[in-house]
Amino acid sequence: MNRRKSLADRIVQNRVWKSVFRQGYPNTAENQSKVVVNSWFLHIHPVKVRRHTLKITYTFGLGVISFFLFVVLVVTGAWLMLFHVPSVERAYGSIQGLETDVPFGILMRSMHRWAAHLMVLTVFLHLCRVFFTGGYKRPREFNWVIGVVLWVTTLLLSYTGYLLPWDQLSYWAVTVGTNMVGSFPGIGEIMRMALLGAKEVGQPTLTRFYALHIAILPLVMTILIGVHFWRIRKDGGLSAPGEKSSGERTEGS
Amino acid sequence: MKTKQESTPIFPSDPRKTYGLMELVKGTSPMVDKGPEETVMSWPNLLILEVLAGLGTTVILLFWSLAIHAPLRDLANPDVTENPAKAPWYFMNLQEMLLHMHPALAGVIVPVIVIIALMVIPYVDRNEDDVGVWFASKKGRTIALWSAVYTTVWIPGLILFDELIRVRSLVPGPEIYPGWVIPLAVIAGLMALLYVMIRRWRPSRRETFVGLFTAFAVSYLLLTISGTFFRGHGMHLVWPWDLPPGALPF
Repeated sequence: MNRRKSLADRIVQNRVWKSVFRQGYPNTAENQSKVVVNSWFLHIHPVKVRRHTLKITYTFGLGVISFFLFVVLVVTGAWLMLFHVPSVERAYGSIQGLETDVPFGILMRSMHRWAAHLMVLTVFLHLCRVFFTGGYKRPREFNWVIGVVLWVTTLLLSYTGYLLPWDQLSYWAVTVGTNMVGSFPGIGEIMRMALLGAKEVGQPTLTRFYALHIAILPLVMTILIGVHFWRIRKDGGLSAPGEKSSGERTEGS
Repeated sequence: MKTKQESTPIFPSDPRKTYGLMELVKGTSPMVDKGPEETVMSWPNLLILEVLAGLGTTVILLFWSLAIHAPLRDLANPDVTENPAKAPWYFMNLQEMLLHMHPALAGVIVPVIVIIALMVIPYVDRNEDDVGVWFASKKGRTIALWSAVYTTVWIPGLILFDELIRVRSLVPGPEIYPGWVIPLAVIAGLMALLYVMIRRWRPSRRETFVGLFTAFAVSYLLLTISGTFFRGHGMHLVWPWDLPPGALPF
């Protein structure tokens, strides 16, 4: 037995460290289990996964990548909220100021923008992957439904954010989009008014889209992502070939 | 004498807690009958891949954002209409459809039907035998490929027809015909034709869905590309290199 403890041991074996991470370093099967179940961040994972789950050509990591893009969007978005003013008079100027006066302003705004575009893409590719591998089948039917809702939520989040800079691109994009809704026979104009909060795209629209973009839709998204991930574990991990051969699945398992 | 394994149990029971059998439940856990040889610990096997995916995503995004800045056009001006005025690229598929049918059909009814159809899939295709196999089977792969080719021929063909010959010049009105009846008849007719052709392979329900979903995904892609990269002034067809400045919605 070593008389002297290494520096690493001193760090991971003192009381402060152990108050944060209840188990020792995860180099034994026991600790590797505990590190997952004891961590709020990791407990959404199962302790063990099928080898097949790790196959890159099965998932291409699209779900995880979409999730990371969402995290990037939350972080950069929160940062952008410190500078953006959701007012028709000042929104555009606040974005200009962000680009000229704020350190890393352009970078953070660009990352937010491109991550949003990329997420629209990866979420749809993820949907295609799950479809083409038959991952929607029992017992995962409902998680597929949640996934479709998540795809739509992603589109709505991206679209509501599009208006916030209040430039020509955003103004006309929202005008075009809401006109399509407004053309619906009968209730179209009511739906359009509900979206715009007025007859034309204006301050009420910006206020609504802002509230949707920074509070309501992210909340919906976060809850649905939580349920989506939790259901993956509850439904027995990712789909894999030959699952049914493991015997009859009882209802509700 | 205790064996080594007995003296160091993997999950020692905690002497400070009491354990008891509370209830017997009939059923299997999702991982039942999955031998340990088929599974690995999530830490580190899964987590390392997740970390790599996260890092890779962040690095690519960082360099992309350093290279290309997010656009910021002129201040919004209700009096100056952008020409063309485009939705974000991911809605250009709808805006492309808008050129060929009533806006309510393109912007609300078709997307809502697609979303509902997607949600219904698992409740119609209930056979669990082919889970986890890409395109269900070799036959499914052939159907998907064939469906993709079919869609790739029809969508640009229809777009060109409506641009060069124009349905509205053949059937000027009343609006119900060029706006609703003809587009719906074309969509339904092409889907029915695709369905009949897929049936020739005697497919399973899933293989049929693979064919139909492929047609949806390819239409979605082609309409997005057409709307985004091939529509210039007045939303008329142009080559991507002839697009007027500002016609790309990003």
